[in-house]
Amino acid sequence: METNRTVKRTAFCFDMDGTITKDELLPCIASEIGIAEEIGLLTKATINGYIDFEASFRLRCLLLGQINPEVVQAVVANVPLDEHLLDFIKERKEDCFILTGNLDIWISPILKRCGCKAFSSHGEYNNGKLQLTSILNKGRAVRHIRSELCYERLVAVGDGANDAAMLELADVGIAFGGVHAPAQAAVHASRYVVHDGDALCSLLRTL
Amino acid sequence: MQPVENAVIAVAGLGSRLGLGHPKCMLEFTGVTLLTRMIRMLEKYPLRIHVVVGYREDLIIDHCAHYHPQVVLVRNPEYRTTNTAYSLAMGAQYLNGKCVFLDGDLIVHPDSFRYFLQQASRSDVLVGLCQPNTEHAVYVNTEESANGLLVTGFTRNKRTRHEWANIFTGPSTLMNDAPNYVFEHLAKRLPLSGQMLDLAEVDTATDMQKAKLFVLKYGL
Repeated sequence: METNRTVKRTAFCFDMDGTITKDELLPCIASEIGIAEEIGLLTKATINGYIDFEASFRLRCLLLGQINPEVVQAVVANVPLDEHLLDFIKERKEDCFILTGNLDIWISPILKRCGCKAFSSHGEYNNGKLQLTSILNKGRAVRHIRSELCYERLVAVGDGANDAAMLELADVGIAFGGVHAPAQAAVHASRYVVHDGDALCSLLRTL
Repeated sequence: MQPVENAVIAVAGLGSRLGLGHPKCMLEFTGVTLLTRMIRMLEKYPLRIHVVVGYREDLIIDHCAHYHPQVVLVRNPEYRTTNTAYSLAMGAQYLNGKCVFLDGDLIVHPDSFRYFLQQASRSDVLVGLCQPNTEHAVYVNTEESANGLLVTGFTRNKRTRHEWANIFTGPSTLMNDAPNYVFEHLAKRLPLSGQMLDLAEVDTATDMQKAKLFVLKYGL
């Protein structure tokens, strides 16, 4: 039977917060100093594109930078992941990439569990003070994966306004509403909208 | 024998004859939308369900997020300038195996659908037929054969015993590069196997009244 499927060397690019994780990380971290609600509000406004991602992230890091990094990592290690997505990534870790605006020094427990390559923002602690050294531009990272890592096709999955560039540049963009409704900008940049991790992985395996 | 593995529902259209201000599939009869009724029917089978959205996609995406998170929504942003065949082809892209293609403005009796799916595994393409009951019907010329009904033509001009039901099965590529109406594309492959379905279609205000009665009569 004829088929609509074409096999090309495909890279799968995933947002992390609210896509691979079942919770947004920064509000979880913020609960350590009792400002989960405030950071949650800021995170929600950022996801929906009401606030510029970079400005919001800098502000959130400023607030959360006072928490001991070991405590942050312990919180991050306990954040539940979407098991379907985790299985999919483990199956094809060579071709899966996590693209996250979150900080490398905070999210390492999750990256370790996933076992795939990641592009993230960078930061370091100097005398106990957090300093942001770079913030990830997802559009640039997607271009790098396509051109430098020589993939013929890119599939991208994300939920927030800061995923729109990645979703737009991918050959197949998927807006994922596993934790909350995907931002309008993410939906409008995507070909597919999916709300369930199992359905998402079933679609990914078909592409 | 190849079973049907996928369902593609087209709900991208404007539904301009009814002028509801929302997609026809969001019409509620006895508190259940047409789309929910259709998805519930399809969920009884091991089918991957793709719903192609366009006009007022926000409403349908929100509805599916709440009630049908397991379906995949496929966006057709060009719904104003493309037709149902285009939406169906979009919905079936990347799918493997046989698909059942459905218009989202239908209420189908589940028993007749079950039999339709059973019959679908026997032929490459199976055309859904129904008793003529809508205002803007496309009629179907048929012949009896040893293997059941054979579809030999489609016409808008002459009323026949059967109406085109806007449901059919076939390979996922079936609607690729279809420039016109779905039935016109199917007509290129005639003769095709046909199978009756018990259903109501909502295209006009009169159809809507008939569809309501259909739902009440069968308790759907």
